[in-house]
Amino acid sequence: MGEIELSCRAYVKMHLHACLFPRCSVNGLLLSSGAPGGAVCVTDCVPLLHSHLSLAPITQLALTQVDVWCSQTQQRIVGYYQANACASDSSPTPCALKIADKISEQCSNAVLLMIDGGKMSPHDRVPPIVMYERKDSKWILKDKHTIMLRQWEETRLIANQMLDSGDHALLVDFDSHLDDITKDWTNQKVNNKILELASPANGNV
Amino acid sequence: MDPFLSFTEMRDKLRKWREDNCRNSEQIVDVGEELISDHGSKLGDDVWIIYEQVMIAALDCSRDDLAMTCLQELRKQFPDSHRVKRLSGMRLEALERYDEATKYYEAILQDDPTNTAARKRKISILKAQGKPAEAIRELNEYLEQFVGDQEAWHELSELYINEHDYGKAAFCLEELMMTNPHNHLYCEQYAEVKYTQGGLDNLELSRKYFAQALRLNNRNMRALFGLYMLAGRGTKENKCSVKAVEEMLESMQITMS
Repeated sequence: MGEIELSCRAYVKMHLHACLFPRCSVNGLLLSSGAPGGAVCVTDCVPLLHSHLSLAPITQLALTQVDVWCSQTQQRIVGYYQANACASDSSPTPCALKIADKISEQCSNAVLLMIDGGKMSPHDRVPPIVMYERKDSKWILKDKHTIMLRQWEETRLIANQMLDSGDHALLVDFDSHLDDITKDWTNQKVNNKILELASPANGNV
Repeated sequence: MDPFLSFTEMRDKLRKWREDNCRNSEQIVDVGEELISDHGSKLGDDVWIIYEQVMIAALDCSRDDLAMTCLQELRKQFPDSHRVKRLSGMRLEALERYDEATKYYEAILQDDPTNTAARKRKISILKAQGKPAEAIRELNEYLEQFVGDQEAWHELSELYINEHDYGKAAFCLEELMMTNPHNHLYCEQYAEVKYTQGGLDNLELSRKYFAQALRLNNRNMRALFGLYMLAGRGTKENKCSVKAVEEMLESMQITMS
């Protein structure tokens, strides 16, 4: 199907989310600020849960709130990511498939991204992710050549730097927001930190 | 973390984390390692329980070096202890040597069939190996014998939720609510499970238990939002006014955006 590009900001936040809760399954939504049609560019992500991923009410609440925020900020939900607690198993769970199905109702070239916990390391040569796309009501592996991650080296360096300096603790997911409602699940602080760390010569992350 | 904590502050922090059963392993390793190396002699008999605490935290952070140091001290002091054998087993688990770890635990259980810690570790291994059905079966057998074990009931409810077996998860949470009627978290989790099951009766129960959770703790946001989402549904007699919930939200100065 279509091409997809994963931005530095989206990847780093997903990575930090998985690292912040290494003993839990985590999930979140992939967003795009680009116009529909053509190649999809995932420009941001919203980390959602780190507990009870398969229970409905909080997921529904989060989807509604993110939807509202997206319409206010000219973004669209274009995908879903998940990292399983059991690092050796990176296959999509039934709840991942369900949520991804729901997203693809609104966005025809939605993607399902699984983070491969077993492959995560500070020296990954390729991003430890597996992407799926929807074809004939089934989720199939996406052709690796249609997935782009510009400046993977730089993205990986930024992620490592933020982990080393403990900045991953700044990341707020929807679950944490519900524990302390003053926390910002749009993660402006983390977004700014990522911008700071990105090379000044590169204007577009 | 303040780098200049005094000896008593470090020791008290570790005690608090032990009492609250926190799993903040990186912090425990930071504080514990320093406490043991710089102030070990001042700890008295506390040192053994601190070795145990730091060892488990070290395993969580992949610090096998630190874990071995602690384990060796404990083995020297308590050579025949089942409690220390369990720690040896946990180290093997951390190294993913599950078969060897299982043998350790089975040896403990041969000696002492009532050793709950060893049984629970065997169940944790099944979970780590991605065998939820076996873990559930073993945990059910365990609970037939040790019916008052809250931690086990909660673990079982989590396993059932992951397997989408909401009916059985609800049963576990009902057990927990019976023995802990003032715990708002159990009420709220039960309400979430009922909501997920769907259907008029379950949604009605869900609404009731979100309300109960909120009554027990009016800052439980999940319960508040759950109630808000269900308000206005259900039979005419039981319709909880959306306005009432909105007023509650207003008073806590929270809006939906």
